[in-house]
Amino acid sequence: MSELWEVLVRHFPEFRSGFLVTLQLVAVSFAIAIGVGLFVGALRVAPVRWIRWLGGLYVEFFRNVPLLVLLSIAYLGLRRAGIPIGPWVAATASLGLYTAAYVAETVRSGVFAVGKGQIDAGLALGFTYGRVLSQIVIPQAVRSVIPPLGSLIIAMIKNSAIIGAVFALADDLLKEARLIGSATFQYNEVFFWAAIGYLLLTVSVTFAIRAIERRLVVRR
Amino acid sequence: MTSNGHLIEIENVSKSFGSHLVLDGIDLAISTGEAVVIAGPSGSGKSTLLRCINGLETIDEGDIRFDGHSVPGAGKDVFRLRAEIGMVFQSFNLFAHKSVLQNITLGPIKVKGLSESDANGLARDLLERVGIPEKADDFPADLSGGQQQRVAIARALAMEPKLILFDEPTSALDPEMIREVLDVMRDLAHDGMTMIVVTHEMGFAREVCDRIAFVDEGRIVEEGEPKAFFEGAKSQRAKDFVDKILRH
Ligand SMILES: Nc1ncnc2c1ncn2[C@@H]1O[C@H](COP(=O)(O)OP(=O)(O)O)[C@@H](O)[C@H]1O
Ligand SMILES: [Mg+2]
Repeated sequence: MSELWEVLVRHFPEFRSGFLVTLQLVAVSFAIAIGVGLFVGALRVAPVRWIRWLGGLYVEFFRNVPLLVLLSIAYLGLRRAGIPIGPWVAATASLGLYTAAYVAETVRSGVFAVGKGQIDAGLALGFTYGRVLSQIVIPQAVRSVIPPLGSLIIAMIKNSAIIGAVFALADDLLKEARLIGSATFQYNEVFFWAAIGYLLLTVSVTFAIRAIERRLVVRR
Repeated sequence: MTSNGHLIEIENVSKSFGSHLVLDGIDLAISTGEAVVIAGPSGSGKSTLLRCINGLETIDEGDIRFDGHSVPGAGKDVFRLRAEIGMVFQSFNLFAHKSVLQNITLGPIKVKGLSESDANGLARDLLERVGIPEKADDFPADLSGGQQQRVAIARALAMEPKLILFDEPTSALDPEMIREVLDVMRDLAHDGMTMIVVTHEMGFAREVCDRIAFVDEGRIVEEGEPKAFFEGAKSQRAKDFVDKILRH
């Protein structure tokens, strides 16, 4: 037990820095995932068929290629092709664009969950399409999208560990833990604290999502 | 209103979905203050006809005039037209994320520019009128079907429409709730509201409405006063329909 604490105390600066890098990775990737995901999700429900098809193309590509392959393309492939893309950009873009595909699908099902009946009811009151979207579809889609979005963020946090594990793209929590481990050989203790670091992030997200859900619940 | 006194004039209207002809030369004219029931078997085009009147569907041929103007297929005018025509749906279609009061005030505030306090006052009056003033702050999911449908009627009334379209307003209700909705509709008819009601409630048709149009396969097969329709339908189709409905 004392060894467990000792490792944490002695290597706290490295753990801390790794944790903060993971936090930044996740925050930037999350922003990309939400921004691009909402946009692609909007394409997926557009009234024009070829625009929907474009959104579908994005989703199918990013959902069906392993994250590790995306990272390889972004970091190795693009650099070989003469595009000087930095490790940080490669990492956050891959993770963000990959997660965006799932966000887009969540948005799409959230919009469809609102149902044609309510849309008809809005139109029958004399609402324009824009007003039906802003007053009826979007407020309800947001509510039904929040819980699955929470699972996506948690999956993304866990997926972010791949980034430190390959190509040394970023000095994130897992990478720092491996460095400390190879210096001290106290692998069990080191990875225990790494797991605690990831749990800290995922459990906070879980609580945040629950709090938001409670405030926005759609009664059915 | 046009010179001959009709609020709605439907002339030779046809409509297809793909190759499926759903409305096949419909003619119907309705005056202000009339309550007209549209009856007919499932799939005969009743809902489609209602949806063409407020422009939720576009017609392929013919003309529908409301208050003297052709129902526009698109553009700003169609939104203006819909604000003057209420619609009540079989499945209520209340906005799930809004309270009862907000369901009623949303249209007047957003479309007609009423102040929130005026709209709230109007909504409370209407809830009184449909008999559920105590439900103002509830959400649709907390109400029974009959209560939801009464809120939907109040929502339509809040726009002060010249016409209300009812599409099988009691078909999704448990039997014990049908009465409360029909009573509200009966009061509306007596107050002179112009309404077109698609329904299988033949009691309502017989006692409340001024005229029945019987639709089959996209055509109006028979049209007349309720008494004549029930006692002496001319077409075999209508006779069979009446027999079948009255036996249930
Ligand atoms: N949006 C649509 N697309 C394709 N077919 C439709 C659509 N709406 C209705 N129909 C078809 O048109 C016919 C008439 O439908 P409807 O007007 O709903 O009949 P009713 O209300 O009398 O039961 C049905 O065969 C139905 O399947
Ligand atoms: Mg119908």
